[in-house]
Amino acid sequence: MPKIRRTRKKAPEGYELIEETLNVESLWPVFKIHHQRSRYIFDLFYKRKAISRELYDWCLREGVADANLIAKWKKQGYENLCCLRCIQTRDTNFGTTCVCRVPKSKLEEGKVVECVHCGCRGCCG
Amino acid sequence: MYCNTKTIDTQFYLYAINKYNRQNWEDSDFPILCPTCLGDNPYIRMMKDKYGKECSICERPFTTFRWCPGRGMRYKKTEICQTCAKMKNVCQTCVFDLEYGLPVAVRDHALGLKDDIPTGDFNKEHFHQNLGKELALQGDDLRQAHSAPNAFLERISQGRKGPYYKRNLPHICSFWVKGECRRGEECPYRHEKPSDPDDPLSVQNIVDRFYGTKDPVADKLLRRAEEMPSMAPPEDKTITTLWCGGVTSELAESDLQEYFYQFGEVACINIVQKSSCAFVQFTKRESAENAANKCYGRLDLKGVRLNVRWGKPQQSGAKHHADIEKTTPVPGLPGPLPNPGKVAQYDPSKRAKLAESVPKPMSEPIDLPAMGAMGAPRAPSDFAGPDKGGNSGFQKIHYPSQSKDRMGSGKYAHMAPPSQYNNANNAEKKPGQKRAASDWK
Repeated sequence: MPKIRRTRKKAPEGYELIEETLNVESLWPVFKIHHQRSRYIFDLFYKRKAISRELYDWCLREGVADANLIAKWKKQGYENLCCLRCIQTRDTNFGTTCVCRVPKSKLEEGKVVECVHCGCRGCCG
Repeated sequence: MYCNTKTIDTQFYLYAINKYNRQNWEDSDFPILCPTCLGDNPYIRMMKDKYGKECSICERPFTTFRWCPGRGMRYKKTEICQTCAKMKNVCQTCVFDLEYGLPVAVRDHALGLKDDIPTGDFNKEHFHQNLGKELALQGDDLRQAHSAPNAFLERISQGRKGPYYKRNLPHICSFWVKGECRRGEECPYRHEKPSDPDDPLSVQNIVDRFYGTKDPVADKLLRRAEEMPSMAPPEDKTITTLWCGGVTSELAESDLQEYFYQFGEVACINIVQKSSCAFVQFTKRESAENAANKCYGRLDLKGVRLNVRWGKPQQSGAKHHADIEKTTPVPGLPGPLPNPGKVAQYDPSKRAKLAESVPKPMSEPIDLPAMGAMGAPRAPSDFAGPDKGGNSGFQKIHYPSQSKDRMGSGKYAHMAPPSQYNNANNAEKKPGQKRAASDWK
């Protein structure tokens, strides 16, 4: 059941059959690919310096890479940030960041955590 | 800010059900919870959702609270509204009594409370609508009636004294039970065997538990309470022995002694490792009865659960009596202390007039003429001099150490004490001259 109930009617018959497929996990690969794409461009320009500034800017403008996400990667502590949703404090109940932003050393004996937004298992440090 | 949208939607949703009674919808600041439900972390973050859900009992919207009761626990939320909780004096989540932690049925049975709450459709609505006003008038009386001290309830709730955090664990992963859990390591639900479906305790319903009908946990508790052998002291007045079962190798006689001597002097303690039981025998029947009153049935010592009963006269009990050497009681010793509850109130006028009778040590000239000859210092006995008359307890000497003429065990009685007490002898010696070994008589 989505957190925000948009209608007040009960769902029609057959919803239970399809609701399992309509979970949040189905969006995780989208976030993963988005991250990977932006990472590729970022690495090419900033790390390997293999493309020109002109090409880099063009990629950002075209939407091949996410400029906002790359802006975060340039900051100390956010070099491996998974997605922008995980640092959005307005999205959480208590105004905190996502659990994947907690360093593994602080997460005592914690089992594998996959954050609900993008399925990240820890993007800190 | 964080739950805005959801609240507005639920309000609209529930508007359809109860729009005529929206003035009576409940709003509260903090839930009524038991310590188990709250968990062990003092830094809880709790989410408040105004009119988040309907109460499971009266089906009216109320303020729901949601929190995490500790590491590795599932999130708990309030299930019944505060009005219903106050009506029965129970926790809003687990519906156990706030005072004893017992099911409603057990507590009502013990206290003899009978509520005739309507459960049908319109009667229920009507009753709960007016309940708010009634509670405001009689709230205190009701709470006192529900938390009246009761010996029966005290005994039954012995096992439920501390918080029971196993209740807050996540539920069993139903996918794992079928063998289909694909989440693996990160699955937040428990991968354990579920309880037996045939077990009557598996079928529980919050509404039934609240009203006190058809509650399998309550039935089990009451049945067990009946079957418990009664605590009535055995008629044979010479029995002063308590039998303790469940004694593991962790418990030593000294542990039992430390616990049981508060009731009275313990004659002896005998642990039988083979049958993991122990016999605690008191010198007086009263002490044994005191002990039984306090801990009959269940006792927890150093984490070990002991089953305490009266000792049986045959076999080990009798063998016990024969085994004990009857030592002559020491005369003049004070008797066992009374139970703390029976100690008389402090009365300043009756305080022992100690100040006058104790002699000030340094002001009196100390008479030590015959020190060396005696071989034992007289100083302590001189101090006790003025008291001799008043000190009635120590006139008869049972042990040699009770005599006032000597100090200590007598092992070193042949030696004279160090020089500072030996002024008479020192006067003869030159200062600085070392004392020969023969001086130490």
